[in-house]
Amino acid sequence: MGRAGKLERKPRFAVAVTVVFFAWLYLPILAVALFSFNDKKSLSAFSGFSLRWYDEFFHNSALIDSLVASLKIASVATLGSLVLGTMLALGLERVRSRRSRVIGAVTLLPLVTPEIVTGVAALLLFTGISLKLSMTTVILAEITFSIAYVTVIVRGRLSGISLEVEEAACDLGCTPFQALRLVILPTLVPALIGAGLLVFALVFDDFVLAFFTTGVDPQPLPVRVYASIRFGVSPAINAIGTLMLVASALLIVAALTLPRLFSRGTSSVDLITGGDRR
Amino acid sequence: MAAPRSAQRTRLWGSLLALPTAWMVTFFVSSMVIVVLLSFGRTTNEGFPVFATNTENYQALWNEVYFELFLRSLLYALATVAISLLIAYPVAYVIALHGGRYKNVLIAAIVVPFFASYLIRMYAWKALLADDGLVNRGLRETGLGDGITFLNTSYAVIGGLVYGFVVFMILPIYASLERLDVSLIEAGKDLYHGPVRTFFHVTLPATRAGLYGGILLVFLPALGDFVSAQLLGGASTYMIGNLVQQQFLEGQNWPLGSALTVAMMVALTALMVAYLRATSTRVREV
Repeated sequence: MGRAGKLERKPRFAVAVTVVFFAWLYLPILAVALFSFNDKKSLSAFSGFSLRWYDEFFHNSALIDSLVASLKIASVATLGSLVLGTMLALGLERVRSRRSRVIGAVTLLPLVTPEIVTGVAALLLFTGISLKLSMTTVILAEITFSIAYVTVIVRGRLSGISLEVEEAACDLGCTPFQALRLVILPTLVPALIGAGLLVFALVFDDFVLAFFTTGVDPQPLPVRVYASIRFGVSPAINAIGTLMLVASALLIVAALTLPRLFSRGTSSVDLITGGDRR
Repeated sequence: MAAPRSAQRTRLWGSLLALPTAWMVTFFVSSMVIVVLLSFGRTTNEGFPVFATNTENYQALWNEVYFELFLRSLLYALATVAISLLIAYPVAYVIALHGGRYKNVLIAAIVVPFFASYLIRMYAWKALLADDGLVNRGLRETGLGDGITFLNTSYAVIGGLVYGFVVFMILPIYASLERLDVSLIEAGKDLYHGPVRTFFHVTLPATRAGLYGGILLVFLPALGDFVSAQLLGGASTYMIGNLVQQQFLEGQNWPLGSALTVAMMVALTALMVAYLRATSTRVREV
């Protein structure tokens, strides 16, 4: 507050850009939400309020199957990548050798590889080892893709924990494993919650990887949504989109408030942007 | 006493690396190797992809159609980066330096739609810009014209890409502006006078790290995207991603698709190395 006061008057041009940006950001989405309550099929003339498209969604068993499949995929992939990503972060942060630097670089590669490349490669791998495309293959691909996010966030947090804390624990009689379990892991909880929420949201919404690695039935929700969008626009998709928007908003609120219950020091923006990367 | 204990600890940490490393080698590294190997493969008469050692696929790529496609993808991705930058900097600036106590709320308001769903965002534009969509209806009713064809144009595709990825530009720039010491700007005012000169001499250089990061975070997904061109564009706006997707899921020529993928990765790696070289020397100069 005082900070803003010290600066000169607000830069009018930048404020104007920001206002236009928010309008541009929300206009299409609000239109989607509005027409999800339309009682006619039209997406340009609102004729009356109705919940028929939500009704259609909840009574469409194929869509519900897809929703359930996506929730399962996201949950399992979140757990798997949390475990593997945290192990990786711990190892990389504490073992400083040339080999661990190479491992660190390789595990970050999925972050800078276009998703379509990862998707194609996963499809070829699974076909090559004759693994039938199914929910399992989607989960395997999503875990591989998500490990890097967890590692980056957890390492950011780990770098703030002094090595002396561990040494103190060991001096007090802990075995190295106990020090890890009783001292280090508890301090990582906020980072783990943040990373878990992020990965869950990313995987649930992920289309490209799922598109290349999914079997026929059940298809993840984004894959099914994509198929129906290609055939044209329909208010049923508006209903799904609106529900996703609400879920996303709730998730963000959770991401902002949950870690605060555990630690007062973490800024919410650090969580969204992935912690302070050095 | 300390030595064996720390050796024990090192062993524990080292052992933690084993499983994730094995996972990444199995599912990531090996899959990339398969793509490279199959790019030298061929398709049997029955339509199955098999490994081989011919360069036919790469020779097939060496023609005008693919050059044009690569060039178009590159131009779309660069346009997306440029437009995102022009939008993201002012927005991040206003929120970071003038957002006051609404900072976090504003950032959350930007992030919410981006977490909702990339597909739904593309769909929102498609519904809005369609020939019988809200925008055209508005134009007709206000008598401003009888409708404009928005879809199937480059503008629609690039607009979709910007809408899809601009948040990756806003967040890093916001993070570096947040860390910026405001007294630097005040000092700049004293030294350079005008706000414009202060911005270009002080603020912009001080936030280079976020800027360079944001450019990469937008460029990479934009270059590989196929959803925007598929839903908002048409055959005349196809990008590399569309072609790769076709070879794997429609055309079923996996070896050719692999060669396309490898070509894209090689081009991307070359660009990245050049980019990182250029930016790291500039960061050091500061």
